[in-house]
Amino acid sequence: MDPSAFQTLNSMESIDIVVAENCQLMRTGLKYLLHQLSSPVVVREISKPEKLISYAQKDGRSLLFISDCFLTTCPENVVRTLAGNSRYAAIVLISSRGIPLDTDLNFDAEITPSDNEKTICQKMEAVVQQTSKIKHVIRSNEGISEREKEVLTLVARGLTNKEIAEKLFISSHTVITHRKNITAKLGIKTIAGLTVYAVINNLIPAEEIK
Amino acid sequence: MQIQADMKMAEIIHLNYHLLPIISRFGINLGFGDKSVEQICKDYSIDENFFLEIVNSFHLKNYFPKKNLQGFPLKLIIDYLRKSHDHYLHIKIPRIAALLSQLSQYTPPSMTGTLKLIDTFFNGYRNELTNHIQREEDKVYPYVFAVEQVFISKKPNNDIVGKIRGYSIEDFKMEHDNIEDKLFDLKNLLIKYLPEPVDADLSHSILVELFRLESDISDHTRIENKVLVPKVSYMEKWILAHFKP
Repeated sequence: MDPSAFQTLNSMESIDIVVAENCQLMRTGLKYLLHQLSSPVVVREISKPEKLISYAQKDGRSLLFISDCFLTTCPENVVRTLAGNSRYAAIVLISSRGIPLDTDLNFDAEITPSDNEKTICQKMEAVVQQTSKIKHVIRSNEGISEREKEVLTLVARGLTNKEIAEKLFISSHTVITHRKNITAKLGIKTIAGLTVYAVINNLIPAEEIK
Repeated sequence: MQIQADMKMAEIIHLNYHLLPIISRFGINLGFGDKSVEQICKDYSIDENFFLEIVNSFHLKNYFPKKNLQGFPLKLIIDYLRKSHDHYLHIKIPRIAALLSQLSQYTPPSMTGTLKLIDTFFNGYRNELTNHIQREEDKVYPYVFAVEQVFISKKPNNDIVGKIRGYSIEDFKMEHDNIEDKLFDLKNLLIKYLPEPVDADLSHSILVELFRLESDISDHTRIENKVLVPKVSYMEKWILAHFKP
């Protein structure tokens, strides 16, 4: 798949960020910095621990910025749920006290009181980039392999088995095997159906379809 | 439970409401009162045994007495197949099309592109189905009647033998394109691959319609392949065997 397709995809979608922090001043400051990021973001603030779970988007693509103060107010079951499954694509700890925490949570990054604006922004940027990669995996990991995806793209573009074989330097027989596997995995049998699938999943641009 | 001639028509609908479209294909209207299947068939001049075989083969998954069905005149079978064609083209398909266009009205603009694709896909299916049906009505059925006529008259002639050799009912079965594939894909596109939530109620209605259409068409195809094809094939063989040029 064309890597630039991923970039367009990411730049179009805004990143969902949940900020969990009791202090209004901190929340506002964080929000300000998050909006400096290169990708568009949607920031939602929470001040009650029980919201932590319900605010995570179901697709598991939200990012969580949580402060140590807020974390200490969270009941154990909430923390356990957070640690136990991947509701958030990444969790960033804001350690305002700068002391180690006794928790099962894994943090993808930690922002400390000694960090200056530049460092904070770099850390945030790194997390966003990293989760964009996860996003690709989530999006593309529908069970079909990269090679199958290549074949699917060509099928959707209207190429025959023979043309696909020539283009990918494989035998027509292998193309047929790939096509069988694609149909079995996706549950889509017709070329027209595969084309719709390919467009929905950004494998080919919609303009290519007449 | 197998449906019998002495059962009340109302009882049958309570037993399996999926038989409603089948009954309407026979031209039977609601408001049966307490009339039995036998009486209703008499009122509408329907061959009672044929009616029973058709409803039972839709009603019971494993019930398929093709021997019985094959005993009925071709006209009965083909009239029935034609009526189900009408039902697909004039009722089912327009209804699904209307639901799909409603769906595009109530979805966020970000989804317009995707729904347009799905619409185009559905129109492709609609054309395929229409062409398929047209071909059966214009080519296959007249051919089948011609074969039956010669078979009944027991006088094979050059003309029909030429037709059979050029295009037999087995060829029809062979090239019977699988019109169910696109329907299957459409269901999965809606169930598995819509990127954003759309009006849930509306999409459920569309899916229910698609599932029903699919199962109806599959029963229809079963009747074509298991009844029409063997019956015609038998007559073709007889004609070829008894033809003396």
